[in-house]
Amino acid sequence: MKIQNLAVIFVIIILPISLTLSSYTKSQNQTLHLQTAYDSKLDNATYDALKAFQLNTTNSSTSDIANSKLRDIEASVNTFFNSIASNFNMVGYNQSVLKTYVPALVYTMYDGFYIYSPYNNDLSSLTNEEKDKLKDPKATFHDGDRITGLKPYIHYSCRYKKNDIDVVITYSLDNYITVQGYIGSGMNKEYVVKSGYLLDNIEVNGGIVEYRNILIEGETLKQRFKPDEEEYVYVKVNGIKYYKKNDGWYSNLNGEEIKTDMEYKEQNEAAKQYYKEAKEFSDWVSSNLGDLTGNDAYDENGDSLNSRFGSDKIFDFNGGNNKSIEDPNSDFNQHRLEVIRYTIEKNLSIAIANYNNYSSSTTTNFQMPKLKEDEWTKIINNVSIISFLQGLSIGGKVYNGYSIITNTKNDEVVSDESIYLINNTEYYKPTDSTLDNLTSYIGVLNKDFERRTFTDDTGITKYFFPKNQLGSYSSIVNQFEDSDLENVQYNNNLYSYIDDKVTKRYINIAKAYYTALGRERYSMYKTNTNTDRKVESGKRVYEDEGLKAAYNQQNIKK
Amino acid sequence: MGDSVITVVAIVLAAILMFAFPLMTMTDRTDDVSQLTVDTATTEFVDDVRTTGKLTMEKYGKFVENISSTGNTYDVEMELKVLDENPGKKTTQAQSTKIGENVYYSWYTSQILDAIQDKGTVLALKEGDIFSTSVKNTNNTMGQQLKNFFYSVSGNDTYTIAAEHAGIVTANGTGK
Repeated sequence: MKIQNLAVIFVIIILPISLTLSSYTKSQNQTLHLQTAYDSKLDNATYDALKAFQLNTTNSSTSDIANSKLRDIEASVNTFFNSIASNFNMVGYNQSVLKTYVPALVYTMYDGFYIYSPYNNDLSSLTNEEKDKLKDPKATFHDGDRITGLKPYIHYSCRYKKNDIDVVITYSLDNYITVQGYIGSGMNKEYVVKSGYLLDNIEVNGGIVEYRNILIEGETLKQRFKPDEEEYVYVKVNGIKYYKKNDGWYSNLNGEEIKTDMEYKEQNEAAKQYYKEAKEFSDWVSSNLGDLTGNDAYDENGDSLNSRFGSDKIFDFNGGNNKSIEDPNSDFNQHRLEVIRYTIEKNLSIAIANYNNYSSSTTTNFQMPKLKEDEWTKIINNVSIISFLQGLSIGGKVYNGYSIITNTKNDEVVSDESIYLINNTEYYKPTDSTLDNLTSYIGVLNKDFERRTFTDDTGITKYFFPKNQLGSYSSIVNQFEDSDLENVQYNNNLYSYIDDKVTKRYINIAKAYYTALGRERYSMYKTNTNTDRKVESGKRVYEDEGLKAAYNQQNIKK
Repeated sequence: MGDSVITVVAIVLAAILMFAFPLMTMTDRTDDVSQLTVDTATTEFVDDVRTTGKLTMEKYGKFVENISSTGNTYDVEMELKVLDENPGKKTTQAQSTKIGENVYYSWYTSQILDAIQDKGTVLALKEGDIFSTSVKNTNNTMGQQLKNFFYSVSGNDTYTIAAEHAGIVTANGTGK
């Protein structure tokens, strides 16, 4: 055979192989490329959703009330789907199409979380008469319909049983817990509903309150409530701010000024009250529930969860190695995070697995992806949104992605990092190393530096900032001077940083920080604030102390 | 005489077809795979930084290691746009019907690297900042060299592997 023939045969063989190989690599390339692109787009959509939630809650003065919060979350869900539609170039597809690819959206809140996922509209518990009434053909939803919506709120709670104790403890993103259940036996058996903060290192001596050897005192606070106006003295009670004008105290309900017939003290004692009550509550927990360990945890069916949470004491007040219960690495906090993670994981995997039963249009088998450890750390320490997107075809395979976006600027939680310190002109992080030890700083919640909208009588939208201070260039705009808490010395613990500052005579920083942290946590809206009650001889009696505690700052005028 | 010329031509042709052509296709595929690796690594790096709000030498080192595993050398350019809300806030304070403009100022690769140079130092970003990274190869890959040999496309600025990704930072870096 001539050499030319060989060449021709070679080309005939090699050319198709190389062409196929090239197109195969290209398509694989594209699949992987699409996958990373989708991951980013999902991140963006989730961030949009979170931003919507953040904007709506900051600008609403009722956002902490459950039904208002639900509305804000539903708006945030809509934003998510709109963003998905435009990001994924699926403009024109409406939510109902996109929903088939989203098995669940999770909104983790202060003491529980919402799951947005499909469910059956089940009216089987109603009587036939009631059902007939609802059989209006014009009704939006009917019996047996598949609806996508927010499922009931699930608390981060766990049941514990030991000797005379049978209680459910609800945890939160900080050290606030709620205890509900029976304590004691026989005649002493008592139904308790108690909630409060767990703290070590508090000294109460008459009217003098010290936290970590820092004297906590009352303070007079001022901020703006409307554009173009001066700062007013205010107090915050159960999530609502009341400010003082010449003729009395007012609150601002979504832009509308409302006069109250209450009279408040100008001196804000919330911080003192926070530490005082935390001490009382901590002492109560220590003496009644101090012996509980991870082994005493039970699930909702009464089966023991002993292998899951270890055998350490849960409420390790004044634990070893100079550890306090509020330290991030305390046994209590480790246990709390494990419970939060366990509740989310369990409910979420059920929701996603169930999705297969509802999903008719897609053939994908939905599965809960395995989240990484650092992702769990993000989720259980902050208010966050977790979104899942599954079943979109991306060439060679089917996309299965999720995204977690967290946030600290909201009404939900006052975290360790939510407090900034201000002087006359600027605001700083408490870890800013340029802070001096002469200025008397005031601690302010980070939300008060966010822009608010206000619509005046003529319909013009105006903007204002409750606090005028500008972000410092050392720790807010950029973080050059922000001390690194990951430093071995501080071990990721803000408290040990502040303690260290105190030994270096920066008592003003510690005082401003601890006062503000206590004040903001105490003034936060909490559903359980007024439920301090007990059952006496089968009758529910509301104790006056609970109400008194919430309103102790006020003297009723009339 | 004529026959031997044809033979020589045939041998040259055969050499090109049997050696150079397959080599070119293979190197082209290698470039494709490198492109993919670089693309994925860049996106993952940027997304990691912007969802955690933290940039460290470890993260950067790992990213560079990932892209270098393709056997090429790369020029990595990072840009961090730091959001400054203060000018906007001043405008709003002066005139409450205006929102005012947010200003971004930029940090570039060398500044960013300076800031994270010490091992263990965290460059904390904040919510609203914009982080972007672009990568180009600086060496001539085998595929490029072969192509240049046959049809010259060389120049100073030619690269075959390039990737970029950018996005808004979604979390405050000091958060846990």
